[in-house]
Amino acid sequence: MNNIFIDVDYAQIYKHGQKIGGDVFLLSRNPDSNQIVCTLSDGLGSGVKANVLASLTAHMAHKLSFSPISLSHSAEIIMNTLPVCKERKISYSTFTIADIHYGENKENINVRLVEYDNPLSLRFSGSQKIAWTREKNELQRKNAFKKEIVQYSSFNMEVGERLIMFSDGVAQSGLGKSLPLGWRNSGVEAFVSDLISKEPDISSRELSAAIVQKAHSLDGMCSKDDITAVVVYIRRPRKTVIVTGPPFLKESDAILGEKLKAFDGRKIVSGGTTALIVSRLFNAKITVDLSCWSPDVPPASKMDGIDLVTEGMLTLSQVANVLEKKIPPASLPNTPVKKFVEILLDSDQIHFIVGTKINEAHQDPNIPVEIGIRRTIVGRLRSALEDIYLKETSQEYL
Amino acid sequence: MKKEKVQVRICVGTACFVQGGSDLLLYNDFVDPAVIAECEIEGCSCLEACKVNGEGAPYVMINGEVHSKVTQEEFAKLLTQAVKNA
Repeated sequence: MNNIFIDVDYAQIYKHGQKIGGDVFLLSRNPDSNQIVCTLSDGLGSGVKANVLASLTAHMAHKLSFSPISLSHSAEIIMNTLPVCKERKISYSTFTIADIHYGENKENINVRLVEYDNPLSLRFSGSQKIAWTREKNELQRKNAFKKEIVQYSSFNMEVGERLIMFSDGVAQSGLGKSLPLGWRNSGVEAFVSDLISKEPDISSRELSAAIVQKAHSLDGMCSKDDITAVVVYIRRPRKTVIVTGPPFLKESDAILGEKLKAFDGRKIVSGGTTALIVSRLFNAKITVDLSCWSPDVPPASKMDGIDLVTEGMLTLSQVANVLEKKIPPASLPNTPVKKFVEILLDSDQIHFIVGTKINEAHQDPNIPVEIGIRRTIVGRLRSALEDIYLKETSQEYL
Repeated sequence: MKKEKVQVRICVGTACFVQGGSDLLLYNDFVDPAVIAECEIEGCSCLEACKVNGEGAPYVMINGEVHSKVTQEEFAKLLTQAVKNA
């Protein structure tokens, strides 16, 4: 697993009264070609028409970015395909494409940015704004009353840097109300810089949500346009290790202890016997917390040095169910499953250490079939985390 | 002299939990509160009894002695007995 994580997330509020948005954001990760493409498109107007046009633009931009065609050529194709509004003589949608390429270990992160008529993106290193040069290209299209300007730039991003893209709904929020000219880029910049200096590790999800909320409040909680903010944040990954099952050989117990001690991140121990082994190795006492459990999920325990200690198979299969059904943790009852899912969703890289010893007690025919095979459940967890939540996972047997 | 409380440990390992251990955790519903007051009841992630004699889950340890296949009724009886003997 690499030591750099590219955290991309966005937040969005539709124009007040609309059930569908004219801002469309698309994100794709293509690990095979070490590429991430983010596309933000804003269709003219709002509602269904805008959504169709923005979707069209975003999908075109997206597909073309993954093709070998150069980004400037792609932009030209999109611009020429976009319909121009009959009355206003301007094109129907605008776009920002961030085409992120990275090296084998997520090093040398290079971003190629194409901006067309959206508010200009911002870059921050920590809370400091970064200025960079953009190359302007003019394009004259048929029927358009003016030349279109597409701006290209290419830059490298280091750990701790952020790229922030947003639609005009953000830059123009508060227009004519609290602010005569709206929030504007300078306002967004000051807000983001202030927020990052207060919370240096703020995640992309939280930062984008904060920008959108602020814009919404400037609009008097009655948004005048679709409001969308996208944040790309290069940071160290938040890691979690899950230890489940006793090692096949008793001699491997010590290896398990060493691995767990050396791990830099959050630690979950799932399994009664495993917890006993860890408590012996760490010389820490286990206290079972009888206050939170349900008939499906046995209670969790507390142990110094471990963030969460739970029972094994029942808890894991419930966690897998919750992840597969995409149930938000906030709506879960207060059981160890809730805590477990919260930790997982709050991590970027999740490592499983799976003990392969057969549990004699589970060979009893009276045991319900739901208690499956540990490997199967770990497999379910990993595919849910990777496919649905875009987490990185790894696994080893002991 | 103050009487020492009866030490009770209920196994909440997977095998015990699914075979009746979860019912025992509801002890407040079926054990006399006066008896509960004399006991110190705690959960245990695994008593490791299943690997020794394998008589049947769920296992409960009362004052160091392991009992197997404990039902709610038996649990209440065992606790009352232990409190009496203490």
